[in-house]
Amino acid sequence: MTDAILQIDHLSKQYPGFRLDDVSFSIPKGSIMGLIGENGAGKSTTIKAILDLIKKDGGHVSFWGQELSSSKQIKEDIGVVFDGINFYETLTPAKIGKISESAYMQWNKKSYQDFLNRFQLPANKEIKSFSKGMKTKLCIAAALSHSPKLLILDEATSGLDPVMRDDILDVFLEFVQDESHSILMSSHISTDLEKVADYITFIHQGKVLFCKSKDELKYRYGIIRCKTELFHTIDQSEILACRKDDYQWNVLVADKEYAKRKYRTAVVDDATIDDILLLYVKGDYKA
Amino acid sequence: MKSLILKDFYNISHNAKSMFLILLVFAVAFLPTSGVQGYIFTCAILCSMMIVTTFSFDEHSNWPLYAMVMPVSKKDIVAGKYFVLFAFSLIGIIFGLVVGTAGNVIAESFSRPPEEIASISPLLSALLALSFSTVFGSISIPLAIRFGTEKGRILVLASFLIPAGICYAAYRLLTALGINITEDFITALLYASPIPALLWNYIMYKLSCALFLKKEL
Repeated sequence: MTDAILQIDHLSKQYPGFRLDDVSFSIPKGSIMGLIGENGAGKSTTIKAILDLIKKDGGHVSFWGQELSSSKQIKEDIGVVFDGINFYETLTPAKIGKISESAYMQWNKKSYQDFLNRFQLPANKEIKSFSKGMKTKLCIAAALSHSPKLLILDEATSGLDPVMRDDILDVFLEFVQDESHSILMSSHISTDLEKVADYITFIHQGKVLFCKSKDELKYRYGIIRCKTELFHTIDQSEILACRKDDYQWNVLVADKEYAKRKYRTAVVDDATIDDILLLYVKGDYKA
Repeated sequence: MKSLILKDFYNISHNAKSMFLILLVFAVAFLPTSGVQGYIFTCAILCSMMIVTTFSFDEHSNWPLYAMVMPVSKKDIVAGKYFVLFAFSLIGIIFGLVVGTAGNVIAESFSRPPEEIASISPLLSALLALSFSTVFGSISIPLAIRFGTEKGRILVLASFLIPAGICYAAYRLLTALGINITEDFITALLYASPIPALLWNYIMYKLSCALFLKKEL
């Protein structure tokens, strides 16, 4: 990928009982990268390592070709939303605005006020009375109001109802209309990523299993549903992951059209991101 | 750093009313026996202890994680805490001085503090209170960073014991060296107290920075 806003090379971090192992991917300008994986797969650890919130054991991360620690300006250009609000519950959106205004040179007061109005967030109400969705919207408003070029979202849409998630996803899509903007979005809600992501990086047990364009996954990947006899005839090199159900085998392949032509008696379905995730997590796969 | 200080003041403003109410109750309780001098000390120490409360709010909201994605460094975060500690102590002293002086007029009509306390000028008392409260508070900052506020609150006792121990050791050393500790000598020491307090705060700041730099969020 060229013109990368964020470049991650061979990132590793060891914890007792968990290792983030050799994680590499990059995010091109104007795109949304979805970081997907089961709970505990290493998505949040990856984001924390990217943001220098934890010490890396190895690897290199660069934003616009520079290390995060090299300049405060880089942080001005990055908006971050974590799962949950990081302001104390007695604060109000107005006070959060003033705190953020003091922190960011690029803070845009008008933009923040516009977001508060758009999200129907009362400026002078304590955030302890806000719903989870309102808190998330407030975090997004704060993250977008210092004119970032890169938005990093760690499970930002988890726990929200579908309507709220849809509203928020629309904001993200608007954000990447500017081709110099990008988003890194970790989520285990695959439907969100299917709606907005351009690329999907799948992390499983601390390792990147693949980093591919969503269209490739959507239009090329497929699942062969077949009986055991047919399963044994499938070329092993074509199997990305497989799992046996009660009545059939589900086999993930990288080229569904080729599989349809080759295994005419088998049913070959489209693969959703959920299907792919389930087959990798719960089935057998080749590393 | 301004944002970090502002955040602590906004957070603590919620508790400010109850704190000032407590200080007013303490005025009634202590002014007749300890005078305005003792009251200034009480206000300064109590207000400086609020620094631990700010850590508690930060922990509750997982603030350090967010602070580190803002354009501030870990050193800025620590420096902000020391600035807030100084400001809290100063607010306590000003409150103690104003309320204590006003309350003293009423209290003196039915009770007077002991002569040795009354002989210390309120301004010297304010200077001493600033030194002592910031010294006590400055120890609680690295403790809160290292152990968190739950364990840190228990260890806050150390904030009082450590300086007290050092003062006692210094007293024993001076006595052993045959230096006569006169009233003038003690007065001079008291006036000079901001210097060791500044030095102590600097050491604690450096220690806090070292601990916070190692900490993973």
